[in-house]
Amino acid sequence: MRRLVLILVPYLWLLCLFLIPFVIVMKISLSDVALSIPPYTPQLDLSAGWQGIRDFFAELDFENFAFLTTDDLYWKAYLSSLQIAAISTVLTLLVGFPIAYAMAQSPDEWRPTLMMLVILPFWTSFLIRVYSWMGILANEGVLNQVLLWLGIIDSPLQILNTKTAVYIGIVYTYLPFMILPIYAALERLDGSLLEAAEDLGCSRISAFWLVTVPLSKNGVIAGCFLVFIPAVGEFVIPSLLGGSKTLMIGKVLWEEFFSNRDWPVASAVAVILLLILVIPIVLFQRQEQKQREAEGT
Amino acid sequence: MKKTLITTTALIALGTAAAAEEVHVYNWSDYIDEELLTKFEEETGIDLVYDVFDSNELLETKMLAGGSGYDVVVPTGTFLQRQIAAGAFQKLDKSQLPNIENMWDVISERTEVYDPGSEYSVNYMWGTTGLGVNTAKVAEVLGEDAPVDSLSLIFDPANIEKLSECGVQVLDAPTEMIPAALTYAGWEDPDDHSQEALDKAEEVLSAIRPHVQKFHSSEYINALANGDICVAFGWSGDILQARDRAAEADNGVEVEYHIPKEGALMWFDQMAIPTDAPNPEAAHKFLNFIMDAQNMAAASNYVYYANGNKASQEFLAEDVIGDPAIYPDEETLDNLYTVTPFGPKEQRLLTRMWTRVKSGT
Amino acid sequence: MPQTVFAPWDDPNEKPLISFQRVTKRFGDFTAIDDISLDIFSREFFALLGPSGCGKTTLMRMLAGFETPTEGKIFLAGQDIAPVPPNKRAVNMMFQSYALFPHLTVWDNIAFGLKREGKDKDAIEARVNEMLKLTRLEKFKSRKPHQISGGQRQRVALARSLAKAPKLLLLDEPLGALDAKLRQDTQFELVDIQEKTGTTFVIVTHDQEEAMTVASRVAVMDEGKLMQVSTPDRIYESPDSVYVADFIGDVNIIEGRAHQTGDNVQVIWAEGQPPLMAKTQKDFSLDQQCWLAIRPEKVAISAERPQAPNTLRGRILDIAYLGNISTYHVELPTGHVIKAQEANTRRIARRSFTWEDEVWLSWTDTAGVLLDR
Repeated sequence: MRRLVLILVPYLWLLCLFLIPFVIVMKISLSDVALSIPPYTPQLDLSAGWQGIRDFFAELDFENFAFLTTDDLYWKAYLSSLQIAAISTVLTLLVGFPIAYAMAQSPDEWRPTLMMLVILPFWTSFLIRVYSWMGILANEGVLNQVLLWLGIIDSPLQILNTKTAVYIGIVYTYLPFMILPIYAALERLDGSLLEAAEDLGCSRISAFWLVTVPLSKNGVIAGCFLVFIPAVGEFVIPSLLGGSKTLMIGKVLWEEFFSNRDWPVASAVAVILLLILVIPIVLFQRQEQKQREAEGT
Repeated sequence: MKKTLITTTALIALGTAAAAEEVHVYNWSDYIDEELLTKFEEETGIDLVYDVFDSNELLETKMLAGGSGYDVVVPTGTFLQRQIAAGAFQKLDKSQLPNIENMWDVISERTEVYDPGSEYSVNYMWGTTGLGVNTAKVAEVLGEDAPVDSLSLIFDPANIEKLSECGVQVLDAPTEMIPAALTYAGWEDPDDHSQEALDKAEEVLSAIRPHVQKFHSSEYINALANGDICVAFGWSGDILQARDRAAEADNGVEVEYHIPKEGALMWFDQMAIPTDAPNPEAAHKFLNFIMDAQNMAAASNYVYYANGNKASQEFLAEDVIGDPAIYPDEETLDNLYTVTPFGPKEQRLLTRMWTRVKSGT
Repeated sequence: MPQTVFAPWDDPNEKPLISFQRVTKRFGDFTAIDDISLDIFSREFFALLGPSGCGKTTLMRMLAGFETPTEGKIFLAGQDIAPVPPNKRAVNMMFQSYALFPHLTVWDNIAFGLKREGKDKDAIEARVNEMLKLTRLEKFKSRKPHQISGGQRQRVALARSLAKAPKLLLLDEPLGALDAKLRQDTQFELVDIQEKTGTTFVIVTHDQEEAMTVASRVAVMDEGKLMQVSTPDRIYESPDSVYVADFIGDVNIIEGRAHQTGDNVQVIWAEGQPPLMAKTQKDFSLDQQCWLAIRPEKVAISAERPQAPNTLRGRILDIAYLGNISTYHVELPTGHVIKAQEANTRRIARRSFTWEDEVWLSWTDTAGVLLDR
């Protein structure tokens, strides 16, 4: 009985927080837009009994999904989102790995403090942090003023409202998600492995590539997924820091929903986005599973 | 202990009683003198819960989803019209609104398109869409005789290319930008929703797109006030706010608002009561309170927007009623136009075109 | 037996492979190695023995290149190795934790060092297979380290460190992680492999039995100093300090004052007791403090007083039965407790002595070692 409950809890969780909302969104994506409250049709009319349910299902169709293929905007937006997310993930890795590495190398008594410093930004609202980047990156912002003052540049750099600003925002926001799993992997790394590698003829650098990197691979993969998946659907960062040229699916979704009031098409966009994300999520789970099996516990 | 319990129960009972006398108002951010809110509570004894939004789209989504819990909301005319069609609002009970006689016919004639006979709404504020100009910077770039009161300031590629040095932002609102582009192009009807009109507007907008720093509907207030940009195409009250912020900051930035001489869009923010409002009676009280001449004047004096209340005009401050940027003269007023909402099909074409303009995709 | 003739340390013409010259290592205020000079010769199986914290691991890590001496010099085949980084030394190390790369198979672990040398594929293949055969790991070559047993892992670690055919192999507590039975088997295997490969082994251990079993010479260390460096039998039979005598095996230590005549010494050790007789090569001044160390197996136990240079009467306090032998703890009237060992050639029921029996202990004058420190 206890076992049953324990198994049931995660499934219940999945049902309430994923499956039910997904079914609702799926249902809306199969509906048609209408000028009513709520703004789509058909509505499930249970008072009409069995006939009502039959009519309801009869009116659902995949028209909205077909519509998505008629306009290149959508796949361009998906591709652009994937590209921005991929580049951001690589950048986050490039920034996060050295930080995690330095943390793992630091003396034991420093580690809790360093860990704290990595997590600390979470104590401030995400929006406030992104807004403060607007203050830093603006033409009249802190960064440009410092660079001007130092004489490095003659005229302010246009960073805000460009893709660069989006990358900065994503890297900044998701950095802890990259650092923590990599740090966890590096911290577990037995220092004598590196000594053994050196002993067997590796330079420090090749020992890093042949031992540290492969052994932190799982942390790196976990970190990359934790950054990539939310970055694909990111809306707030590109709309605050990005320019109007920054095409992302989150923005397209917002426009379908708010500007066009087309909830069905917006839902279709969301369903496709989910499917695109499910692929890396499944890959991620596979990887995790493999790792658990490999550890043989 | 028992006594405390009883007291607590009594308090809860009181609380629920008070909840019946609550009114939820959902208005634009920075759009009222907050002293009016206290005044309303004191006069009526009704608890006022005041929330703010910053885009019509957000409000509309809440209205269309239903069950918003608000008693009074303030959509812009074009949005109001569509939401009325969707059945989002209830008809006003004019018998509960004696102050409605204060309203200004000049405005209510123009809001007829959205809400014939003012059956569902009363005007709160109105304004124009025009040019916010950092005079000194524009003069620096384009010379002293820069066309600061003409749409050519931003729609002539030659001008905006030069201005892009000091930064230009325009509204991220196609329903505002397209009529302006059509007006600049000399199109007969700025409210034309036809494909030809959209194509023409797209041509004009695409030409200037590379020189627009950002399409955004609120950031230009700060950007203009800080001197980050030198020209914004935006809403009158917002630009006047930027003007005041710059003056307060005393940062050497001087902002002016100009209604384009070619003609400008005139918009109306209308107060309405949702169909499912929990407390329509209190909502009527709030509407009537706002329509009081002195209260309305206080609101306008605070936010620097013109209102649709004739009786309030005698209480308006001189820098409000006397500023042609807020209360345009007769001639300018005749030159202002109104627009109607886009239908669902048209809306999609519009949004798509707008995305294409903004992102080149 | 080569072991008997193999004694390069006694040959003044022999050049040592490793030479520590007045090496000191400090970590902050702590002196881990205190002015050590030591020569280790080619093909030796050399054991560094001592309790934890005695500096033996530090000494080994200096050979590997993971630590550098604070003072003094270390020579490997006549070359000062201070400026040579670990990856350039002809020295390999087998780590206490084995430090096998968990992401690589047994084969790849063994090939790791060879690949770094940039050898061609066939040469690597051949060498790895040779190592697999040497350590009897052929069957496990494609397994990952977590898929094999502790003993197999130990052999992988050994094969990996031997693969590059180093001049010198360092083994840090190589058998520490194995259980007692496996450890014994492995000890002999180690010796076997050392002889087959002809590599010089330096082993670090805290287990004196292990050191005695495998090593050609043993260095006993304490608090950063070398206490004695010698062959296992000499360490056991002729310890040159109470510390070494006590650390290696079981021993009775009797403190007294020396009265020397030639190589005969009378040890005055207790009021009203006859002096103990011992022979020594050392010179003791009159009444110099000295310690007589006698191994329990050299003390005879009997009911009747025997004819012997040293006889003492006492009472049996305790008997430790160890199967093949028994150790008797005999209390003397002076309060000293002396241990004596007897082989149990007869069945337990017929044992001659039991608790509280009055017995005689005896040993010859050459049985004990007289120590001056």
